[in-house]
Amino acid sequence: MLLAKLRSYVDSLLHRSRREDEIADELQFHVESRAADLERNGRGGLTHAEALRQARVEFGGVETHRADIRASLGLRWMDELGVDLRYAWRMLGRSKGFTAVAVGSLALGIGANTIIFSLAKGVLLDRLTVPHPEQLRQIAIDAGGDKSRAHSFWGSWDDVDGKTQATLMTYPIYRLMAQQNREHPVVEDIFAFKDLGQFDRLTATVDGHAHVVTGQMVSGNYYGQLGVRPQIGRSIEPVDDGTAGTGNVVMISDGMWARVFGRSPDVVGKTMLLNLVPMTIVGVNPPGFTGASAVQIEPDVFFPLSMQPVLVPMTMDNKHHPSVLDNTELWWVQTMARAKPGVSAATAQAAMTTWLDQDVKATMKAEKDTVNPTVSVLDGSQGIREANREFSTQLYVLATLTGLVLLLACANLANLLLARSAARQREMAVRLALGASRGRVLRQVLTESLLLSSLGGAAGLALGYAGRNVIPHMYTAPWQAGSLHADFDWAICAFTVAVSILTGVLFGVVPAWQATRTQVNAGLKDAAASATRRRKGLTGRGLVVIQIALSMLLVVGAGLFVATLRNLSKEHLGFDPQNILLFSVQAPAARYPSPKDVQLYERIEERLGRMPGVTGVTLSREAVLAGGASNLPFIPTDQPKRNGHDGIAWVQDVGRDFFGVYRMPLLYGRNFSSADTSTSQPLVIVNEALVRSFWPHENPIGKTVKMDRNDARIFEVAGIVADAKYSQLNGKVPPTAYRLYNQMDQERDMTFEVKTPLPPSDVLPRIRAAVAEIDRDVPVRDVRTQEAQIAATISQQRTFAVLTGAFGVLALVLACIGIYGLMAYDVARRTNEIGIRIALGARAGQMLRMVLHEVSWMAVVGIGAGLAASLLLTKYVKSMLYGLTATDPWILAGAGAILLTVALLAGWGPARRASRVQPMEALRHE
Amino acid sequence: MPDQLDLMQGTLDMLILKAVSLGPLHGYGVLLRIQQISGEQLAIQQGSLYPALFRLEHQGVIASEWGESENKRKAKFYRLTAAGRKQLRAETEKWNRMAELMAGILSTTPEEI
Repeated sequence: MLLAKLRSYVDSLLHRSRREDEIADELQFHVESRAADLERNGRGGLTHAEALRQARVEFGGVETHRADIRASLGLRWMDELGVDLRYAWRMLGRSKGFTAVAVGSLALGIGANTIIFSLAKGVLLDRLTVPHPEQLRQIAIDAGGDKSRAHSFWGSWDDVDGKTQATLMTYPIYRLMAQQNREHPVVEDIFAFKDLGQFDRLTATVDGHAHVVTGQMVSGNYYGQLGVRPQIGRSIEPVDDGTAGTGNVVMISDGMWARVFGRSPDVVGKTMLLNLVPMTIVGVNPPGFTGASAVQIEPDVFFPLSMQPVLVPMTMDNKHHPSVLDNTELWWVQTMARAKPGVSAATAQAAMTTWLDQDVKATMKAEKDTVNPTVSVLDGSQGIREANREFSTQLYVLATLTGLVLLLACANLANLLLARSAARQREMAVRLALGASRGRVLRQVLTESLLLSSLGGAAGLALGYAGRNVIPHMYTAPWQAGSLHADFDWAICAFTVAVSILTGVLFGVVPAWQATRTQVNAGLKDAAASATRRRKGLTGRGLVVIQIALSMLLVVGAGLFVATLRNLSKEHLGFDPQNILLFSVQAPAARYPSPKDVQLYERIEERLGRMPGVTGVTLSREAVLAGGASNLPFIPTDQPKRNGHDGIAWVQDVGRDFFGVYRMPLLYGRNFSSADTSTSQPLVIVNEALVRSFWPHENPIGKTVKMDRNDARIFEVAGIVADAKYSQLNGKVPPTAYRLYNQMDQERDMTFEVKTPLPPSDVLPRIRAAVAEIDRDVPVRDVRTQEAQIAATISQQRTFAVLTGAFGVLALVLACIGIYGLMAYDVARRTNEIGIRIALGARAGQMLRMVLHEVSWMAVVGIGAGLAASLLLTKYVKSMLYGLTATDPWILAGAGAILLTVALLAGWGPARRASRVQPMEALRHE
Repeated sequence: MPDQLDLMQGTLDMLILKAVSLGPLHGYGVLLRIQQISGEQLAIQQGSLYPALFRLEHQGVIASEWGESENKRKAKFYRLTAAGRKQLRAETEKWNRMAELMAGILSTTPEEI
């Protein structure tokens, strides 16, 4: 029966006019047949006209029957919906101001939610673009705490329950485990890769043009195990990942193919220089493939791990040994595998932990009192997800805030609609009197609300689409490639539709319910007062209290994040960041094996120093306040081992003029000078924090230290410099040791710092020309000012401050409108009462105070509720704040004061109107 | 003719099904046939006939198609479907059971309690 009904529905909908004609014909036939019978058999011979008339009378009202027929066909609801929609459209058209405000606030609320959702979906839900990503598992290690055997890492790690967890292996151990797994499989074949990210970019030279590209090193079975096929050409195969230093093949991303090669099909087989090493392009990745590390960022080039010593040389212990493929101490390569059907994660984890233990014992030197790391098998469907944990928290906070804003808009609308529905009492009473059921009236009012929310939703969708990249842009620095981008797809549209409907129901249900409770008798009478007045007042006030509470929450949030930004911006840097232009240079290892790379930097430094307009030139291993850092064991020769393990210092290899360019005061001893060269005594200048940590009661000048167990050199402490921020703004300045880069054997890339009062646009072309003169194939990368760099490190805090600030302002505006609307309506309704009061002797000022009293008690209750909510919820954002607690009393008090002021201001207008009521007018106005 | 009885609630559907089961009919024909087989003893509202017909067609127990009437006019003919036959059988059985039950109850004498 259901199927038949469905078919009938569809038929009625599709062939509407034909149906109508058929029904008309059928009924006509009936009447005429009856008339014919009457004519024939009727008593006393009726004429044709009389017979027809009688037949019609017998049949009854045709229109009623047609309506009944449509009801039988189940089409009544459609007819009624059409009627309701047309009526609602007319009503909205009549009050354009209200419609504009309503649709506008809804569009903002829904649009903001759509933007956040598309971002959240991308970060939290989207998976790697490979077949069956849910099968992928990360093979991570849990390297305990201080006593762990694993203590040398290249990569990033998470702190989980106080222990370090990272998806990093030593390369020898990876090979052993892969072999062990092949013999007794607990997962499919293990594959490995290393995403080089932003810190280890490469220079790709194509047809003489140099491009800065990001890369990912992959094992031979990477593409096979992931199941990814190239668009054109072939993928990297096990035969390419052979002996260290071989395998000059590379695959490029779809993005790079479009950008650099214009999607030309003869890219396959072309030779490209990567860091001046010739590589053959064998294939192009399919579009949307972003590697195995992250979903959002697409690396440009993929090449075999065997090429690591040539393309990404790392001289850890020995300057002549750039390979880390045989390094047994460094945990760096990322490993994943597809899950094997039938083997649980726990089983795989246990087996691999045993293998890891064996492999560590087999490859690494034994150390006393250390604990071997264990294996954790983690979900790999979204890649390594390095940044995701922190970003998830931020997303949740943003999602909550936008949800609150939408709720606020709904409360506002509900209140406005309530006021409007009160004015429509008459209309509702008439409808009910004419026979509409209460359900029918409810449906009609809800349709109006849904129409409003659909309009708001459509506008919100457009807003969401237009603004989908706003937040990602706020997060990434302009000179960094590979930004996040949010995709806009059907899931997001569906989300917006769902939110619109939900919103419509949310703010529509209260006025709709009120409409059905109209007393027909009272409504039809002329009296302004009605029996339900008391209750309606409370609903309206309740909504305003909710609005104020939500606004309070949003304003407190805004206050916290804005204050965090301010605290960070005011952090004492310890140096002068003004007028310093930054850019980085990488000496390609193929042309500049150590120590030629250091000599290249020296040449550039000297050349730039001679440039007119440049007042200072220096360079450093890590750009200041760029988030990058390196540290080494710091072992004073005159101190016994502390607590069984070595102290650590954060290290900066810098040029001679570093402290001069940055205006960092040297407190004791001497600065680096031209007397310090690669052949003289290696020096180190330390900061106050380091002195406090290592020599709290002694003068360190002249003392000697070793840095890193494997480096035989002895460094002499030449001076003490004032504390200055190193890699991040928050937190204390770490103990830092500055070495002279000229005394180092090898530096892979350096950041130059040029102090000049001239604008960058002036100086930059000359800098590029100067560097090009020295070597055409060494590009100048990542140009920005030091101040821009500092601004970029707090981009997250700034984004939040801007967003929450905007939300706070929006909340205040909505609360203002809400209070004004309610009080204005209230005063209008009570004009009578106020007129009587004044006639009986009340003064204008008392009326004013009466209204303001109403407003203030609503505000106080709302602020109180908002305060309680703030105290409960702000602890979740503790980790994102800086320099203040989550329950900072100044901010809470400030927010309350702002809201109270806004509430009183909003109520001022209606209050004045109340005080100006003329008793005669009021009493006449019935 | 003795006074016609008014239709009981819900029985119109059954009557239509029965009438149509005896052979395809157009709407007017259904009316005539019901009157005929009831011996002119039922009063049927002409207007409520068509909503009932459309409802039954919507449910799929009768099917319709356009054809020619006796006097060569275009008319819509209804016939019973397989589902309709089943429903008629079920309803008839239910009605008979109900009638028997009611008759039994109504004829109870004080002695049988």
